[in-house]
Amino acid sequence: MTLTRRDWFRLTGAGAVTLGGEKLFGSFTDYFRPAAEAAANEQTLITACGICDSVCGIQATVRDGSIRFLKGLPGDISGRGRLCGKGTSGAQFVYDPDRLKYPMKRTNPAKGLDVDPGWVRITWQEALDTIAAKFGDAITQYGAESLLFISRPAPDIWVRFMNSIGVVNRVDHLDECYLSNRIIQRYTTGGYTWCHDFDHSKYIVLFGWDLVAKTKLVYTHGIVAAKDSGAKIVCFNPQYSATARFADEWYPIKPGTDLAVALAMIQVIVSENLYNKDFVDTYTNFGEFEAKIREHFQQYTPEWAEQESDVPAEAIRRIAREFAANGPAVVPAHKKTLCANYRNGSQLVHAISILNILAGTIDRPGGRYFPRTAEIPGVDAVYPPPAYPPKKGRRVDGKDKLPLVLEDGGGLFSTTADGILNRYPGMIKACLFNTYTVLGFPNPPRMFEALATIPFVAVIDTLPTDTVSYADIVLPSATYLEGNDLVSREYTAPYPQVVVRQALVPAMFETKSIGYVALELGKRMAPDYFKDSAGQWINLSTLLDEKTKRAGLAENFAEFKQKGIFTKEQPFTPRTSFNVAGGTKCQIYVPQFAAKGGDPLPVWRTKRELPSAEYPYYYLTFIPGVHKRNSTENNPILHEMFPTNAALLNPKLASELKIEEGQMVRITSRVGSIELPAHLTQTVRPDAVMVAHGFGHRSRLLQTAGGLGARDGDVIPDQTIDEMVQSGDFAGAAGIMDAVVRIERV
Amino acid sequence: MAKYGWLLDPKRCIECRACEAACKQWNGVETGIGVRYRLVHVQEAGAFPAVRVQALSLACNHCDNAWCMKVCPVKAITRRPDGVVLIDQSRCVSCRQCEKFCPYQVPTFNEHTRKMEKCTMCADRIDQGLQPACATLCPTEALKWGLWEDIRSQGVDRVAGFTNPVYTKPNIRFITSGWPGK
Repeated sequence: MTLTRRDWFRLTGAGAVTLGGEKLFGSFTDYFRPAAEAAANEQTLITACGICDSVCGIQATVRDGSIRFLKGLPGDISGRGRLCGKGTSGAQFVYDPDRLKYPMKRTNPAKGLDVDPGWVRITWQEALDTIAAKFGDAITQYGAESLLFISRPAPDIWVRFMNSIGVVNRVDHLDECYLSNRIIQRYTTGGYTWCHDFDHSKYIVLFGWDLVAKTKLVYTHGIVAAKDSGAKIVCFNPQYSATARFADEWYPIKPGTDLAVALAMIQVIVSENLYNKDFVDTYTNFGEFEAKIREHFQQYTPEWAEQESDVPAEAIRRIAREFAANGPAVVPAHKKTLCANYRNGSQLVHAISILNILAGTIDRPGGRYFPRTAEIPGVDAVYPPPAYPPKKGRRVDGKDKLPLVLEDGGGLFSTTADGILNRYPGMIKACLFNTYTVLGFPNPPRMFEALATIPFVAVIDTLPTDTVSYADIVLPSATYLEGNDLVSREYTAPYPQVVVRQALVPAMFETKSIGYVALELGKRMAPDYFKDSAGQWINLSTLLDEKTKRAGLAENFAEFKQKGIFTKEQPFTPRTSFNVAGGTKCQIYVPQFAAKGGDPLPVWRTKRELPSAEYPYYYLTFIPGVHKRNSTENNPILHEMFPTNAALLNPKLASELKIEEGQMVRITSRVGSIELPAHLTQTVRPDAVMVAHGFGHRSRLLQTAGGLGARDGDVIPDQTIDEMVQSGDFAGAAGIMDAVVRIERV
Repeated sequence: MAKYGWLLDPKRCIECRACEAACKQWNGVETGIGVRYRLVHVQEAGAFPAVRVQALSLACNHCDNAWCMKVCPVKAITRRPDGVVLIDQSRCVSCRQCEKFCPYQVPTFNEHTRKMEKCTMCADRIDQGLQPACATLCPTEALKWGLWEDIRSQGVDRVAGFTNPVYTKPNIRFITSGWPGK
């Protein structure tokens, strides 16, 4: 592509002129030259991807100060020397012309997706001073409960900032993701792990989780290796997904009934005494609760499960027997999946934990194991802080109503809008969005409505997302390829490994890291927490050097950048003691659940909403393999591969509804409707419609993704905390797969 | 001289499209104007629930009997000694004959340069002793590249959705056996 300098001025606006001068434009225009052209000034740098939690190692070619090519890092146990399409396209995030470039403030007080905010460029100083003053005023006048942080709990200095000012309302997307799983694992097998040793599994049962199609390479590699060594894979999924293609057997299960099949598998294994006796007798509480367990599962026969799930009883029985006999066997469970994000998700992940326990593969080869991580000290270890103020105040997402969720720390996206609008109206006075968009919430229009009631909103992001349209102050964030960090392997870690994350190029324009924002706001709002023992301000570079040294990676960060990767190979020694609720054994029957508002053994519950005369079809969403949630659609390369979404319909259903390929359809649930073109496919059940998540960005500043596609969340109901509690969803699933809809031609 | 070719194992493809992305990135192919040297073609067969899906990552097959070369009126398309077929854009008059005659619809018209473009097998990388970018990135080795003498005896020469190779003799083979689909 030949992007002339004039084009560049046009794209970025006149403001950019004053920013970088010749050098910046030089690097941009160079970038659009083919990477293959010879140039003298070339470097190969090691860094880590930052798109998904696979965090694959990268070998980057940087030429004349521009990122030219990214490929995998040999020796990396996560990406195994390769990258996926998203990772390979990483440079396009850095060089996206739509990026937020400098801090801005709103001059038009009216807020809305179609309202011009009247952005005016300001200095970092003014932006940080304003945020600190607004937040400080809110705390002084209304208490810390008046602050809302829509943010992940990372990096560590960001957590310190939130702790130092006593933030009680930090909300993240975990109820849509792995919150239930994390809570259940803590009480069944001890701790929480993402690690599955698929390479050595012989029998893998997948409930809904489309782990191959998400192209999280850390798992994909394992599944491929399992197939290469002859493992059998059984897949339950209403869609014939990319994962289903790897399966020996695929069952197009009725949406939301994975739990029935899992319960019936337990019934078969327990009643026929097929479980791994050595493991179960030695390492679990089965003996202590044997009578209760046996009696409880009696009711869940394969014949009963067939009625619920459409999976034949004899298949369930055979699969349960094979699962028990042909190990090592594993049922992975992880994130936002078709299975774990129904209302019965808490029950399902408990049943999955029990299946893994019965297979005797917890922390065993071929099973779910705990990561052997390299310990990297956090900021609190390097610079011990004064005691943090107590966290006082009401929880906007209402998670204090769910004791198990409260002790976990994860947040609830699905109840936040109701908390702001109805439960505690007017409580939230200031809000900070850290790299999340409203598209990530169920029922985004309601969240926009909630945002509009908050007097002051600050947003940190790399792109002008829809959320930015509601901001009073915008802070431009650096991308993962412009930052420095240490990445300790967590998703696959049979032995410790650390990969460096280093800035391949200096942060573009005036973008800054999240760590910088935390430190600068901290200095202004809670200075005592951001000083070292000598009373000097904490320095982020010194902190990183200190972490590197204390973790034994190198003398300092600069030295580790040269090495790039640290691997400590060691034999895998299976756990013989499981750190579960103060004991040492895995728990099948969980007494603590009974005491904390849950069920000690998984019980059958239906999904939240079932097809009805008014809404006869299941509504399912998925994330395309080339995208990451709602954050990559503006990347030009990924956009070209998957530019927008469609309503995926089985031709049988389409014909009943007189819908043809490409025709616009309206999908309506009890909370909203979307219109998008139909795409007919035999890969979906005829009683369901599937829509890709991540589209429907409305921000006019997103030149690539803006205005394209439908917002899948508009038909997904959010919920009140009381609804969540009453439904028995004790480990807090957002129920984002629970909607039912009607479908009509437009 | 050594000759090269592609080896595809569609069952290993996860549709991550690292091959496409690597190609775009390495070759600096402009986005947004429909020029894509490599493309993952996804095809369905059968009816629910007996449905099957096949993903084929295809680019130029650098055919032994390349019709694009034959029909080019200005001889802008040439073959290197190692079999790599290239379009010399300085000679291309954008008559688009190559596009019409290629059974795999590989040459593409770039509306900005007004020239035809296609996969070069990353000839510049080959000259440096490297693999093409696509095969370098493919995480599951669904797409492999190598010496044709090593590839020619593997798998089969055709799969559903791939034009009959008899006439143009494309340098690509397909692995169709193995897991799972029992």
